[in-house]
Amino acid sequence: MNELTIAMPKGRIFEEAYQLFVEAGFNLPKEINDSRKLIVEAPEERIQFILAKPMDVPVYVEHGVADIGIAGKDVLLEQLRDVHELLDLHISNCYIATAGLPNTMMNEIAPRVATKYPTIATNFYKEKGEQVEIIELNGSIELAPMIGLADRIVDIVSTGQTLKENGLVEYEKIVDISSRLIVNPVSYRVKSERIRTFVAQLKNELIKR
Amino acid sequence: MGKIQMFEKPLGMRDSFPKVNEQKEYIRSTARNFIRNKGYDFIKTPSVEYFETIGKASAIDESSLFKLVDNQGETLVLRPDMTTPIARIAASKLLKEKNPLRLAYYANVFRAQQREGGRPAEFEQLGLELIGDFSAYGDSEIIHTAVELLKTLGVESFRITIGHAGLLTALLTNNTNTMEQVDALRQLLVEKNFVGFEEKLENLGLLQEQKDNLTKLIDYTIDFKVFENFRPYLTNEQQYLIDQLEQLKRLLELQLNYPSIVSFDFSLASHMSYYTGMLFEIYAAGSGFPIGNGGRYDELFNQFDEKVGATGFGIRVDRLLEVLPKNDVKEKHTLLLFDEASYLKANVLAEARRNNAERVTLQFIASINDLEAYKRSFDEVLIVSEGGSLRE
Repeated sequence: MNELTIAMPKGRIFEEAYQLFVEAGFNLPKEINDSRKLIVEAPEERIQFILAKPMDVPVYVEHGVADIGIAGKDVLLEQLRDVHELLDLHISNCYIATAGLPNTMMNEIAPRVATKYPTIATNFYKEKGEQVEIIELNGSIELAPMIGLADRIVDIVSTGQTLKENGLVEYEKIVDISSRLIVNPVSYRVKSERIRTFVAQLKNELIKR
Repeated sequence: MGKIQMFEKPLGMRDSFPKVNEQKEYIRSTARNFIRNKGYDFIKTPSVEYFETIGKASAIDESSLFKLVDNQGETLVLRPDMTTPIARIAASKLLKEKNPLRLAYYANVFRAQQREGGRPAEFEQLGLELIGDFSAYGDSEIIHTAVELLKTLGVESFRITIGHAGLLTALLTNNTNTMEQVDALRQLLVEKNFVGFEEKLENLGLLQEQKDNLTKLIDYTIDFKVFENFRPYLTNEQQYLIDQLEQLKRLLELQLNYPSIVSFDFSLASHMSYYTGMLFEIYAAGSGFPIGNGGRYDELFNQFDEKVGATGFGIRVDRLLEVLPKNDVKEKHTLLLFDEASYLKANVLAEARRNNAERVTLQFIASINDLEAYKRSFDEVLIVSEGGSLRE
């Protein structure tokens, strides 16, 4: 049986996905205590987990250093990497939406949009035929409309709590997001039996849920 | 973009340093011998072609083309693939002299990169085309040759997945209502976005039966080797597609270790839009990307007003380098150092060794700044004395 390398995003998604694997019947170590570890072995299943930043998971998978990865659809839409998207894991469900201060219109002369997702934002406004200036930020996107940097933001919304606390309202929903199982195209062929069984086992558990 | 640095190269362009260049040369000469023995003739085509002809006929997306304008105002492209120029030559001249025609190439092609500057925008491709044969024997020859070539080059672990562009189109068309739906679904299969494929099926407003049929394309539990299972989804006029595949499979089974190297998957779709019949991709352990692909592209010849069958494959040399075991081409390299007095003697000695197929560098000793460092680039270093004697 071939060794499988799985790239996992650190943090909350890791916990949920790991739980999903355990429930699907994979024999994995009970607890992974040391959060600073970057590589975790599951010798019984001949699986190796790489813990990466969520944004980096598709990079590892595209280049084939990980056979499989778990990545948010937001990251996949933003990076357009050459990977196979095989399963919707239905975990970490949320969506991407535009938001801004209540009862405001886009500035007509210089409409600005702040976001962590420049590609998604650009495509969204392009499809609507609106010309906007996209400002890329790395975090605390909600700040932008509050301090007058942008009229709108394009960001992840899960409960809407963060928007509310910062006095922002949602305007348009762009796309639903959840975690996906992605596979490297070459691994998909070269380790096809192993990966197909893995995916089938996972799919069985997902159907039960 | 900032100011261009003095040592910078255009986006995606790479130098091949001596060691890599030697490895490529090894691939080129090994492949050339092998392919010529199979009866294929090597051919060269211009690096620059017209956008109106080759640029438009090529399956490479327009956004990936390098375009330039000549002094007549015509738009030119750096050739993005070799199949299209070869089709041009075959249709205009060579097919009239020899039909079927077997042509091969080792050439650099150019594809502009959208993302990540590190990806190569110019790379060498090695491939062959069998033009003038509609039969499954032609397809089998192409796949079989690809397998043998990779083995000859020393690629240890690789897989070939075979699909059928015509069959996929038939399955999609029979179960959808418009051409747009077919294209949308096909695009998702090219990206292997199975999640998107399922979502799309829900959104297209198809009948339950249509959805069920299409879901089979991405079902892991289905054994694609049993082609018979797909007959019920095809009309009577389309049954010949399965017959073609059956025949190809029988031919391949005669010569290849079937399940371990070659497998079938009808969901295999290619961004190369000119494929009409069987198509395949080659994957090898060691590279995260397919190292090559091929297929039947009869319809490309319609653009050149010819009606012939054509099939072929291309392998990317840069990715081949990644998957080949690292064996440095080892040959002894001798450095002969001379001074004013031993100049002539050194030349004579070098000539004698070179006639013996040795690799010898002659160097005037006083021109070297750092002798010790320079010596490290050679396997043997000898200093020639006035009388012609050698010392280490």
